[in-house]
Amino acid sequence: MSPVVRLLVKRLSISIIVLIGVSMLIFTIARVIPGDPARIALGPNATVEQVDQLREKLHLNEPIWVQYGYFIRDFSRGDLGISLYTNRPVTTDIAQFLPATLELVIVAGVFMIGFGIPLGIASARYRGKTADNVIRVISLLGVSAPSFVWAVILMLLFAFFLPLFPIAGQISDTLTVPPRITGFLLVDTLLAGDIPAFLSAVHHIILPAFALALSGIGQAARLTRSNMVETYDKPYIEMAQSYGFPARRIANRYAFRPSLIPSLTIIGLDFAAMLGNAFLVEAVYAWPGLSRYGVQVILRKDLNAIVGTVLVISATFLIVNIIVDLLIAYINPRIRLAERGRP
Amino acid sequence: MSDYLLDIRDLKLAFKNYAGLVEVLHGISLNIRRGEKVALVGESGSGKSVTARIILGLLQELSSARISGSVHFEGQDLEALALRTRLALRGTKISMIFQDPTSSLNPVYTIGVQFNEVLKRGNPGILERDAGTRAVSLLQDVSIPEPERVLASYPFQLSGGMNQRVMIAMALANEPSLLIADEPGTALDVTVQAQTLHLMRDLVERRGTSVLFISHNLGVVREFADRVYVIYKGRLVEHGETSELFHRPRHPYTRALMAAVPRITGGGIPEIAENSSGFTEPLIDHEVSP
Repeated sequence: MSPVVRLLVKRLSISIIVLIGVSMLIFTIARVIPGDPARIALGPNATVEQVDQLREKLHLNEPIWVQYGYFIRDFSRGDLGISLYTNRPVTTDIAQFLPATLELVIVAGVFMIGFGIPLGIASARYRGKTADNVIRVISLLGVSAPSFVWAVILMLLFAFFLPLFPIAGQISDTLTVPPRITGFLLVDTLLAGDIPAFLSAVHHIILPAFALALSGIGQAARLTRSNMVETYDKPYIEMAQSYGFPARRIANRYAFRPSLIPSLTIIGLDFAAMLGNAFLVEAVYAWPGLSRYGVQVILRKDLNAIVGTVLVISATFLIVNIIVDLLIAYINPRIRLAERGRP
Repeated sequence: MSDYLLDIRDLKLAFKNYAGLVEVLHGISLNIRRGEKVALVGESGSGKSVTARIILGLLQELSSARISGSVHFEGQDLEALALRTRLALRGTKISMIFQDPTSSLNPVYTIGVQFNEVLKRGNPGILERDAGTRAVSLLQDVSIPEPERVLASYPFQLSGGMNQRVMIAMALANEPSLLIADEPGTALDVTVQAQTLHLMRDLVERRGTSVLFISHNLGVVREFADRVYVIYKGRLVEHGETSELFHRPRHPYTRALMAAVPRITGGGIPEIAENSSGFTEPLIDHEVSP
């Protein structure tokens, strides 16, 4: 088995165990918090018989482990139950709302890496100079306010006072939404060959994605900077300098790659954490995503939908972590070779 | 102007900090002829390593460093050379060997990749395959048994002695006229250090490379160098041919330094005065045969 495959198998099996743990936890928590889901779903005017009927249908009168057994049975068939909030299968809801969130988070992640890391490199290279100080102030600002604050500030600045970007939504109302193929609007508009719709979708996603990414950008810049500064004191950097390699090459090649190894884990976690942070940004920008759905179903104590949403977010988190682990193994030969050496 | 490969005159270095200027070198003058191996000996903090870094122009990049005096290399004033020209000397005409070989090689690239880059410094147009062949033959020169395997390895997979050989091979790859060895192999154990030093001496003698050998280890210096400068707290205190200086050390500091070497035959760690007024006596320059 190739070392990368072995690493993948190991991480995947750990992830499955984690997911089972998460499902038990959220299953229990959702049921022990006070309030009767059937009563909330049917409203105050429903009769006691109707409520009891629904409770029976949801197996709410059974002990909790029996309920979990039903859940596992349905889950293995790919069924997460019916949402009491939308009256549709939870899987359908998730399939509808997840792509918008993923799209937002992925674009924000691209911003985080695309802006954060180069800023960190520049900051370390011009350590102590004006450029460094400016970048450090910006990244501190990014880290110190939560993303929904940035969402509001950016919306005020660049959509309201200076109307460069649209206030809310995923695409301009005047355009027809292309047929849904992947659910990712940026992809679907391209697949439909509808360039104006694609540009409109890009235009709409920039502000929310940037708001979501800002703290990540700050974090990535600060981490990259501090790791690079540490690397600059290593003897191999002095050796590279003694060979007369240009400063830019030393920064981008000799210092950057060793510095990226410790940063990457945190950047990966930040990336996954944006899934949770996306909720308020989605609320501010009226973004039809999963985080918004998640909040609605929690408020309504919609058991099946809560469990489904949490599981999907955890799974995404775990997948991102696996990708980060693989990237680190690729960059750090010590890990790559150690994996190979094991029996 | 002079027949010296390297000619340093009245070199002064100070670092600026919040308290003001701290002078580290108080005006040192030294020179190296072509093919000559010259040692700069002193305790840690005496200013040996900063001298090496000034020759390479590494310290000049620090905004806190204040440097005066002149450094001539191959008859050219290094300060007068534009930064670009001076950078071009590094790794081609002047190269350097560092104290700890394993941590001086980049941990995330293979030896082969790093070797390739060094060869490209000397000959930017070199083909990938030619560079590979050349690296193999250079590694054979430093008695590395399986060059191909070493080139495919990462530094952490090799022993310290092996990495030291790699570093020597890299430093000599572009046939520099001056090799600066800053405490080479101090991080290695003594037997490995002796082997690699022998190897380095043979190689530089065969190629006629001049060497500035920086060390605190008198035993090693005596074996290696033609001429010795002793440095103490940023001042040169004694200078002479190796045999002359070792037979008739005249400066109090040099004598103390020699007495400080622990004997293998026992007798405990020698008693050395922490500070002595004699140590700061002016330079004693032995006759040097032309």
